[in-house]
Amino acid sequence: MQQLIPAVGFGLITASILAIAAVGFTLQFSVTNILNLAYGDIMTACAFAAYIANQAGVNIWISLVVAALFGAVFSMLINRFVYFGFVRRGTKLFGMIIVTIAVSLIIQNLLLAIFRPTFFSYHASAGASYHLGSMVFTASQLAIMAIAVVAMLLIHVLLTQTKLGKAMRATATNPGLARSCGIATDQVIDVAWLISGALCGVAGVAVVLNTATFSETTGAGFLVPIIAAAVLGGIGQPYGAMLGALTIGIAGEVAAALINPSYKDVIAFLILIVVLLVRPQGILSEIAAAKEVTA
Amino acid sequence: MQFYISTLLIYLFIDIMGVLGLNLQFGVAGIINFAYIVFIAVGAYTAAVVSLGPDYPGNFQHYVFGASWPFPLPILAGGAAAAVLSLVVGVISLRRLRSDYQAMVMLVLSLIATLVASNATGLVNGPAGLATIPQPLYDQLGLSPLDYQWAYAGWAAFLTVVVFLFVQGITRSPLGRTLRAMRDNERAASALGKGVTALRLMVFVVGGFIAGVSGAVFVEFIQAWSPGSWLYPETFVFLAAILVGGAGNNWGAMVGTLLVPVGFLEATRYLPAIFYQGFIEAMQWVCVGLLILLFLWFRPNGLFPEQPGRFRRRPLITGGSTRVPAVPVAPPAPVD
Repeated sequence: MQQLIPAVGFGLITASILAIAAVGFTLQFSVTNILNLAYGDIMTACAFAAYIANQAGVNIWISLVVAALFGAVFSMLINRFVYFGFVRRGTKLFGMIIVTIAVSLIIQNLLLAIFRPTFFSYHASAGASYHLGSMVFTASQLAIMAIAVVAMLLIHVLLTQTKLGKAMRATATNPGLARSCGIATDQVIDVAWLISGALCGVAGVAVVLNTATFSETTGAGFLVPIIAAAVLGGIGQPYGAMLGALTIGIAGEVAAALINPSYKDVIAFLILIVVLLVRPQGILSEIAAAKEVTA
Repeated sequence: MQFYISTLLIYLFIDIMGVLGLNLQFGVAGIINFAYIVFIAVGAYTAAVVSLGPDYPGNFQHYVFGASWPFPLPILAGGAAAAVLSLVVGVISLRRLRSDYQAMVMLVLSLIATLVASNATGLVNGPAGLATIPQPLYDQLGLSPLDYQWAYAGWAAFLTVVVFLFVQGITRSPLGRTLRAMRDNERAASALGKGVTALRLMVFVVGGFIAGVSGAVFVEFIQAWSPGSWLYPETFVFLAAILVGGAGNNWGAMVGTLLVPVGFLEATRYLPAIFYQGFIEAMQWVCVGLLILLFLWFRPNGLFPEQPGRFRRRPLITGGSTRVPAVPVAPPAPVD
């Protein structure tokens, strides 16, 4: 029991980071129908963008904004110059996944070649510690959670209250019909990549702030929990991804505290397998069903 | 020099076996197995533990089920273990999931397998891996190390020929035709009464067996095996070989192996280290990624496309039409 409550605390932080990342991942999937397995490596690239800004003397929170901007533009460019070309050629779904993995290999190893195989960390202090019951949070961890909450609220407002959000939802559900209704789906897709890239950048920096050091594989290592959270929630469902992130984050940290820290990802994997066996469309299943995830 | 050439030859034969197994799964039957390297790894670990002898207290490495089985048995055991694992994984993951979804599951499986092998130290000695695996018949044959290398190359060549004839047999048989039909249009194949799920499972297990054998032959040669030798990107080297050579064409797959894992990766391994240790390796992976992208873009059917049947077939990876759908291609909406 003594271990449990602090573990839930850690779980909340992981869940916050995971929620930011998983919502970006799933939002982009719902609009573009591409499972972007390079997502984790884009996260790493963003973390390095923030690192460069940070090394140049910029405050870490402004570096985070830099990372978000970099992620947004980088994601959109990858789509414009790589993915979209293959989609236009009618590349099949599993063909696209090979493409995304090739991109992932390229990004990860270019980063390795440029930055060399060592560990990096930001010039940032974790700030004072705050005790909430037996949970302990540093100031920067509280900030990460606040950022996650704000990001989720913004996504909610975007999807439900704005014309753009409605256009995105329409494109996600039925692109052909959306086009017939006069929605410029190409622009909507660009915007989806921009938003997902920005969330990816924020998540990338948040991961590093939480774990203190990073290397060229940090983001890729985070990909499994992201996928698990997205699939658990019903892939393509931003709200599902939030729920999924909360579940995976807390379950992973509790398992780490009670069993063995290195099995944190195994929990995510087990949840993924069980969901796929029992309910491949996830908890919230509208879009997953429309996209025929189960065959 | 002779050492280098014979080593390279052995690598070539072993990689060909691996690529042929994956080509049967991916090229012929259209199963996306991004965890292929895991089955090679399982074959290697199994062959290692059944030839290392029983584990004892004070041993520098720890593993389960130590035994010292005589020569050809460890290889068969490796194949069998990989086949059994394939059966389990296949039953779970080859359900009617969307193809990219399925691919993702395989990738995750590959990541987790490395994680488990590294962390469960009692299983196969954790991150350090197994070493001093005996080379088969080394003492009995009494050859000089160099002659032994050549003998091993011959043995690997023999196995490769067997695997090739077997895979080619399947590919050319009516069964192979059914598999290709399933790959090209699963719904039509099942409408004609083909048991698609069972066929996929069968191919998955056969491919897994071949992977296991190639892993076993490999580990008995290099005598060491650790989680670092089978990280998930290794699968994509095999995949790149198939895409370069021509998916579905076994001859093409062999040429692809000669070009990608052996010609490109092994040959550049001995380049002088420029900039710093590890730079060339990183750039190799960048090139593998680029190679996959370039071939998918410019020659989606590879250098040696599968022989067209009586009907003109559509490219495997990219759809047939070059007309531009203005929106991402979504699968047709389900008809309720």
